Amino acid sequence: MELEELQANWMAMSQELEKQKKLTNEIIIKMTRNNYRNKFSKLNNYENVGAIICYIVAGFILLNFWKLDTLYLKLSGVFTLAFLTILPTLVLLSLHRIKNLDILTKSYRENLITYTKEKKRLLKLQQIAIAVSFISLVFSPALALKLLRDKTLILSEMKPEQIIAMVFVIVLMVFVSRWGYRSYKKVTNSAEALLEDLEA
Amino acid sequence: MGNSDAFAEVIREHQGLLYKVSAIYTNNEQDREDLFQEIVYQLWKYFDSFRNESKISTWMYRVAMNTAITHLKKSKRIPKSEPIKESLVSMAEGTDDLFQERVRLLHRQIEKMNSLEKGIMLLLLEGKSYQEIGEITGLNTSNVGTRISRIKEKLRKNMVKT
Repeated sequence: MELEELQANWMAMSQELEKQKKLTNEIIIKMTRNNYRNKFSKLNNYENVGAIICYIVAGFILLNFWKLDTLYLKLSGVFTLAFLTILPTLVLLSLHRIKNLDILTKSYRENLITYTKEKKRLLKLQQIAIAVSFISLVFSPALALKLLRDKTLILSEMKPEQIIAMVFVIVLMVFVSRWGYRSYKKVTNSAEALLEDLEA
Repeated sequence: MGNSDAFAEVIREHQGLLYKVSAIYTNNEQDREDLFQEIVYQLWKYFDSFRNESKISTWMYRVAMNTAITHLKKSKRIPKSEPIKESLVSMAEGTDDLFQERVRLLHRQIEKMNSLEKGIMLLLLEGKSYQEIGEITGLNTSNVGTRISRIKEKLRKNMVKT
């Protein structure tokens, strides 16, 4: 389709829209109020909910840290605490920057660059989160058992069904991680291509 | 109250512009409605900051297109806005089949573009000069020209494919 043809269609559509003007003052004010209300419902994306869950679990570990009586468990606890606090905080900061683009004074190109960079950063963080959560599988069963039931995990005393369940979770995680990593990589690549174009 | 009336008047006068920005950056009706309402809200938020240094439509394009950036690729998310059915009509509502087919064709071509190209394309279709496109997008005039040539080339290639 040639540009001229697109322009002709666009003009025809614009004329139709001019005829269809339906907004009233009342509807316009209602829209601003609706959106104002929505600004307060911050729990509307998965990242925010995820971060809150992470902070709650981190709080639980911190309160029960005294139960961790071996060096292995203490190190596991510190690693998990770091994972549950640092990554979600970085994600929330990135989201905050995305939500607070300077739409009034900055140009479209500048905002698009900021947005794409932050989006890329967010995707990288999510990729890291997938990798770290996979690593945490190694010690989280022992940590959870100690914190929730005050018991020490001894592999040789595990029942066959427990071992099967653990293997199943690990295999599932491998597939989910590979799928997640590939999907994120695809989106990150397209963000990189756009950034190159914008900064050219 | 006077300010609300002035704002509502500006929105009513330029609602076509808002429909078109919303349509170009979204792929479905719910997203279009969300984006439209978000743009109206952002314009309302910054309405007092408008200083008549540029045309009101130029200012509105800038705010609307900048708002659209954060709505990119959100087609699968949960709707944020309350539907205001009486206001947000389909772009091709009440028109004949040929017209609707043309709008779909137009949308299919625009869907293939990246965000920057979409923005430039929108302004170009709106009949804006290279200078105005530069003012809104932040590109210099010669860069706008180069990018428009690239968009034309892409369109030609797409035409050969289809």
